[in-house]
Amino acid sequence: MNRLLSFDLRTAAFFLLPALLVLAGVLVPLAYLLIRAFEADAELLRTLVLRRRNAVLLGNTLLLAAGVLALGTALAFPLAWLTTRTRLRGRRVLAVVGVLPLAVPGYVMAYALLGATGGNGLLAAVAGLTLPRPGGYTGALLALGLTLYPYLFLNLRAALLGLDASVEEAARALGYTNRQVFLRVILPQLRPAFLAGGLLIGLHVLGDFGVVSLMRYETFSYALYLQYAAAFDRVYAAWLALMLLALTGALLVLEARLLRGRRFHRAGAGGTRQARAVSMGGWTVPAYAFAALLSLAAVGLPVGTALFWMMRDAGAAAGWTALAGALGASVTASVPAAVLAGALALPLAYRSVRRPSPAARVLERVAYLGYATPPLAFALAFIFFTLRTAPVLYQTLALLVIAYALHFLAEAIGPVRSALYQASPRLEEAARALGRKPLQAFFTATFPLLRRGLLVSIAFVFLSAMKELPITFLLSPIGFETLALGVWGAANEALFGRAAPYALLIMLFSAAFVGLLLAERDELRAG
Amino acid sequence: MKSGFFALVLVLLLAGCESSPPQALVIYSGRSQALVEPLVERFKAQTGLPVEVRFGRDAELLAALQEEGAQSPADLFWANTTGALGAASNANLLVALPDSILEKPASFQPSSGLWAPATVRFRVLAYNTEALTEDDLPASVLDLPQMETLRGRIGWTPTYSSFQDFVTALRLLEGEEAARAWLEGLQALEPKAYPSNTPMIQALAAGEIDVALTNHYYVLRLTQGAAEGEAPPVALYHFAPGDVGNLALVTGAGVLATSDNTEAALRFLSFLLSEQAQAFAATEVYEYPVVSGVAVPSYLLSMPEALALSPQFDFERLRELDATLNLMREVGLL
Repeated sequence: MNRLLSFDLRTAAFFLLPALLVLAGVLVPLAYLLIRAFEADAELLRTLVLRRRNAVLLGNTLLLAAGVLALGTALAFPLAWLTTRTRLRGRRVLAVVGVLPLAVPGYVMAYALLGATGGNGLLAAVAGLTLPRPGGYTGALLALGLTLYPYLFLNLRAALLGLDASVEEAARALGYTNRQVFLRVILPQLRPAFLAGGLLIGLHVLGDFGVVSLMRYETFSYALYLQYAAAFDRVYAAWLALMLLALTGALLVLEARLLRGRRFHRAGAGGTRQARAVSMGGWTVPAYAFAALLSLAAVGLPVGTALFWMMRDAGAAAGWTALAGALGASVTASVPAAVLAGALALPLAYRSVRRPSPAARVLERVAYLGYATPPLAFALAFIFFTLRTAPVLYQTLALLVIAYALHFLAEAIGPVRSALYQASPRLEEAARALGRKPLQAFFTATFPLLRRGLLVSIAFVFLSAMKELPITFLLSPIGFETLALGVWGAANEALFGRAAPYALLIMLFSAAFVGLLLAERDELRAG
Repeated sequence: MKSGFFALVLVLLLAGCESSPPQALVIYSGRSQALVEPLVERFKAQTGLPVEVRFGRDAELLAALQEEGAQSPADLFWANTTGALGAASNANLLVALPDSILEKPASFQPSSGLWAPATVRFRVLAYNTEALTEDDLPASVLDLPQMETLRGRIGWTPTYSSFQDFVTALRLLEGEEAARAWLEGLQALEPKAYPSNTPMIQALAAGEIDVALTNHYYVLRLTQGAAEGEAPPVALYHFAPGDVGNLALVTGAGVLATSDNTEAALRFLSFLLSEQAQAFAATEVYEYPVVSGVAVPSYLLSMPEALALSPQFDFERLRELDATLNLMREVGLL
């Protein structure tokens, strides 16, 4: 046993390097915020921090996070079930509906919702339909729910695919009804997936600025941005960011408590069996209607609105060279960031699942803190420290890639962790018992089982990086023009016809990337 | 295999490290790309000088400039608002400009001489022509809070810089208490708050609100930009001449203290104040030129008419933003 636990130097480096990077990526912004926060004048601070408005913001933020989680679950769970456990035709198409909204930036969805409704909106122009313009809580809930539910969908789908049917069969043999099997056998096993997806959604809502500002719903991150934007005040903004991080910390502790002490991989020997698919019967039509409505709202609406803008202001579009340049820039930064994040997430998740020590747990949680640090503060911190420690890195692609990877690392951890929970450690132990070195044993026995999760990790980070704004603004090389910057620059000036091609390209290429991954995953299933 | 992977990542990372040619003029622009790029292209073509532009919002760029400190690569800060230029002046980020630049604009020169005005826009009340006529609207913005008929129909942007510039002017011209009373009075009419002018004007066009406190060119962009017969029922309303509700707002640029390329920065400032650049602002962006002798399109008020609308006021004082923000926090708007 001792031999199995011992680490050689290379193994240690394999874990230590990512750990150090992640710590730096989180401690740097935190240190920055503390430095700025303690520049505050005590009196002003008391009036700014301890005021009623902050309690209102806290309430608003929590209310929105809870609502988006509920809506996200209501959309993601049925869809995940339909695509994995039924004999419904066109399951692959449904799965695409479940993933595609990831390609839609939240601010594009918000613009689309606002642009489609009202007296002179898209729906009025095309169908003569005047819907009330969504705003405030409802508007923010819709825009965030429709763009964020895929985080739950993907996690749940992966978990449902990975469940071992023999457990359910055993339960049935013991006399459980279908309902009991669902509640007592399936649901508990989906818990890590629920938590991983829910955590990402919660953190997204906490950090969102684009949607809540367009929908006029005031949350912490909205107020935080206003302090930078309206007041040019980096000190009060730092305090708001720290309050936001405290909220995140509470969420992380909660998630950890709900996950503690559970084991999800199979106990016995033999291969995992896929569950028997059920036939939908009378539920077929409602199922299709649900999927059709969802795809219209989550994908059809933003794409349709962008196409409408493009046709309405045909002359406004930027040239092909500008578009191609922006696409190139987006991909050049997003792909390496996604791969780097995947490479960092793997050892972190491995440590926390397989060798759960307090240190490993803390390290994994710390990555989520980096994710929850408002991007604007995150970017400012990187400016602050890069110029003091490694000025040669400043305004290079390398720094942008590292910042993306560290900021979005948390998105990469969940899928790998879920895959690890389902991969039995016995295989790797056996490989070591047969004389493989630890790393070798890991790469031959466990790694192949994690590929599915790892690809999803990489996809998550890629998609987030494609949409990211504040970090791109502040850390990209000068003159580096991404698709997201193109959308923002034009939409901000109400040049929607000009913004549309950029938005369409983001959605198209993100969708293509997701499509490739899905295809890859289905091949894995077949093989 | 794994070390090969890390080597690959390292190569990818290092590939990004090549630095840009040192002599390029580096502009930090709070104005958006669509408005800036055509001018930059023309400047590059005319002078042969390399130019690199970092786009962002005023506030983000200001925060970045302050975090960069002495190591900032930027030469010129081209801001969208007087407030941002004031904040840059307060933070000692700008250097004094030579007379050759300062004497070019016919109006709106800041008394500090730290930045040059580039274009001007005016505060207006935009309204829905199907819901209201000019007769329904007050002669002064100060009377707006008494307009009970507009309850729930007013749009404003309390967190947006140009609105805050207006409040600063209101405070300085009418006094702190009048400004507070105005803000509280308008709040009592349950206005809808938007993060910026674009979504507010879209909401006005969509019938969500019937009047909006905004800047003139957002309205013109909406009406002039629309195809024949498709223009939404939205029009401009000016308050009486000299009313603070018609306040002129200046965009401008200044040379940064960290610049190691001052000569190119000054050439660019000169270019911004040239007739062709000023005409571009008037015809493409619907803003007003700051140098005299530049023709404006027929759908804009003439320069003298427009100038007569705005109150007499030292625009440099718009940098006194802190008291405005405190006031707005006290009444619960920030």
